Amino acid sequence: MSQIGSFALLLALALSTYSFLAGVLALARPGAGSERLGETARRAGIATFAVVFLAALVLVISAFHDDFSIAYIFHHSNRDLPAPYKFATLWSGQEGSLLFWSLLLAAYGFVLRLRHKTDVRLFAYASAIISAVQIFFLLLLNFAAHPFALMQGELPADGAGLNPLLQYPEMVIHPPMLYLGYVGFTVPFAFALGALIMRYPGEKWIRITRRWTMVTWAFLTCGVFLGAHWAYSVLGWGGYWGWDPVENASLMPWLTGTAFLHSVMMQEKRGMLKMWNMWLIFATFWLAILGTFLTRSGIISSVHAFAQSSIGGWFKWFLVITFVTFTFFFFKNKSHLRSEHKLESLISRESSFLFNNLLLLLACFTVLWGTWFPLISEYVQGNKVTVGPPFYNKVAIPVALLLLLLTAVGPLLAWRKTSLESLKRNFMWPALGALAVGILMVVFGVRPWQDIAYFYALMAAMLSALVGLTVASEFIRGGRVISRHTGQNLLASMVHLFHRNTRRYGGYIVHFGVAVVIIGILGTPFNQDKEKEMGFGDKMTIGPYTLVCESYTQDDNPNYSNEWAIINVFKGDRKIETMYPERRFYKASQQPQTLPRIRSTYKEDLYLTYEGLNEQTGRPIIKAHLNPLVMWIWVGVLIMIGGTVLALIPNAVPVRVPAPARIQTAPVGAGD
Amino acid sequence: MTVATLTCAMVTLGVLFYVFYLPGRLHMGPEKTRLAYLQERKEVVYENLRDLNFEHQAGKLPDQDFKSLKASLEDEAAGILAEMARLEQAAIRPLPGRKETRI
Repeated sequence: MSQIGSFALLLALALSTYSFLAGVLALARPGAGSERLGETARRAGIATFAVVFLAALVLVISAFHDDFSIAYIFHHSNRDLPAPYKFATLWSGQEGSLLFWSLLLAAYGFVLRLRHKTDVRLFAYASAIISAVQIFFLLLLNFAAHPFALMQGELPADGAGLNPLLQYPEMVIHPPMLYLGYVGFTVPFAFALGALIMRYPGEKWIRITRRWTMVTWAFLTCGVFLGAHWAYSVLGWGGYWGWDPVENASLMPWLTGTAFLHSVMMQEKRGMLKMWNMWLIFATFWLAILGTFLTRSGIISSVHAFAQSSIGGWFKWFLVITFVTFTFFFFKNKSHLRSEHKLESLISRESSFLFNNLLLLLACFTVLWGTWFPLISEYVQGNKVTVGPPFYNKVAIPVALLLLLLTAVGPLLAWRKTSLESLKRNFMWPALGALAVGILMVVFGVRPWQDIAYFYALMAAMLSALVGLTVASEFIRGGRVISRHTGQNLLASMVHLFHRNTRRYGGYIVHFGVAVVIIGILGTPFNQDKEKEMGFGDKMTIGPYTLVCESYTQDDNPNYSNEWAIINVFKGDRKIETMYPERRFYKASQQPQTLPRIRSTYKEDLYLTYEGLNEQTGRPIIKAHLNPLVMWIWVGVLIMIGGTVLALIPNAVPVRVPAPARIQTAPVGAGD
Repeated sequence: MTVATLTCAMVTLGVLFYVFYLPGRLHMGPEKTRLAYLQERKEVVYENLRDLNFEHQAGKLPDQDFKSLKASLEDEAAGILAEMARLEQAAIRPLPGRKETRI
């Protein structure tokens, strides 16, 4: 089997190289024969997908067949590993995850090349750029991180097993989501660079890539938050975000990608920020590669960096080459990216997008700086200084609050300029609603003057309310217009309105999801935790809950042995649940793991971990966390993803209604 | 010959056949002209006008703001339409030695 996999990787490299070279040649020398050459390049790109798929399939089959002659399978699997994790072996280690990356890139390229009739030349440029990126990953796979490398010496009877941290259901879907996001940004980047190289007239490339970008962004969002949920459910420290370098690595392209999604609308509608957008999408692609470099090179220590090796040098060169190539074409064709309009007013939709971009980039730079600070400090001072959550929070919280303000304000501002009267007209009711929420919070005991964390929580609640209210006002106002013209009731009109412009109103739903996520995060300052040695019948109280230890028990299966506590949870005198915080010991890898148990309600999460035995007293230790509002984060993310999916639905054909404008033939629709 | 070798050979042959066997004509699509670009711009400006109109009807814009924003969008549309008309006329009656501008 390994021979087929190895051969498939070599063939894929040859096909990608051909696709790139023939594609570039056909584009550089248009004339007789170039069309056929270009078509073979496109087909070679398509065939790359089939061949990389074959290699990935061989690796997965080898995992299911316990083929420990392949070193990768030996290191990341074992005979008793449950089937879903055997499948996940594909992305559980260095070589496999690079193969998976290559597979996803080939899959994106496959879809892109099939759709080439949309704009043959532009797609040919994008295809060549994707092939160039593919060559890099296939070079890595063939010469630096070979997934089909064979074991030396006597074949082992069983594998070393999968990292216990990865033996969790979410780990089967978190990496694919994250990778779909990382890899997916290659597509809009390829189109942007292609459009720049060929001096593509107009902004149609943005329309072509709009869905790609949105789908990619949704995958990355899913990946980032699944990672947070996994950390919360598996790592056992009671939190979901620790500003770990690898978490940061996924956040950086998400921040720039979010900025790009917004600012690209300015280019599409007003022909502005063309250079900015070019750099934004490049930065997003580059940061995705940088993130992989961080995870893989081992230059920065992280709880996630489980696949460290010496391939960092390859990534460094690739990062340098992409930067130089992009910069070269940017300066060569800069004149093509001149803005068609200028910013007319600071109070306008354009300026809100611009400030949104600046804030997102500030957040990205902060994360980048904090992530790289250990290296910078080592270079300057000679010793590694790691920055922790206080550093990030100092910038991230105010930036998040300002972004929330812009999320609320932006949709209510007009393109070009907004008068004070218009501001007053649009903001009065949402602002009064947000103020009422603030007053209610103070009445119910939040004292913003006592602690800066409470102040932030209050602001976040008010701004989230403002976002919710502005989104609602947008739907209601638009719905009323439709209702006037069609005679439908308001609810039906709002559904109608949504179908008129799914991108805009789907986007508002995403904004609402962001506000819900922020509500979840604002519970953090009110977290409580307690730790106690608990024997049979011992009690511990946290918040409104009383925990009573009933007993401890243990079990054994081929993959791991485990022990868990049986804790009865009471609220007042009423028993509401029995929870089973657990510790496992994985046999193949000889590693322990703590598995928390969580009772989630919309008000709070009760989070219990069994910390093991106190070495001195021999008594079991139970740790309890009470984390308010955490469920809102996951619900908010679902709303964000749902909003993105809705935004991807094609618009319905607008109904023509009379408009009091000089150009009267145009239908009235709800615009972006 | 082992199964692995045979599989590799068959995959290679299949791939080579798919990549290099090109029967029939190829779809290359039209070259994008200045006129096509202006058509896209016109659609965007019209869409902006529709948005503006809708936002006015939704009560988000005072009359004065609406009129001034509408006038500037209409000016932009007029400029695009004028250039499109010039190019279309030139395409119908090409002057000696002049071709449609490509960008």
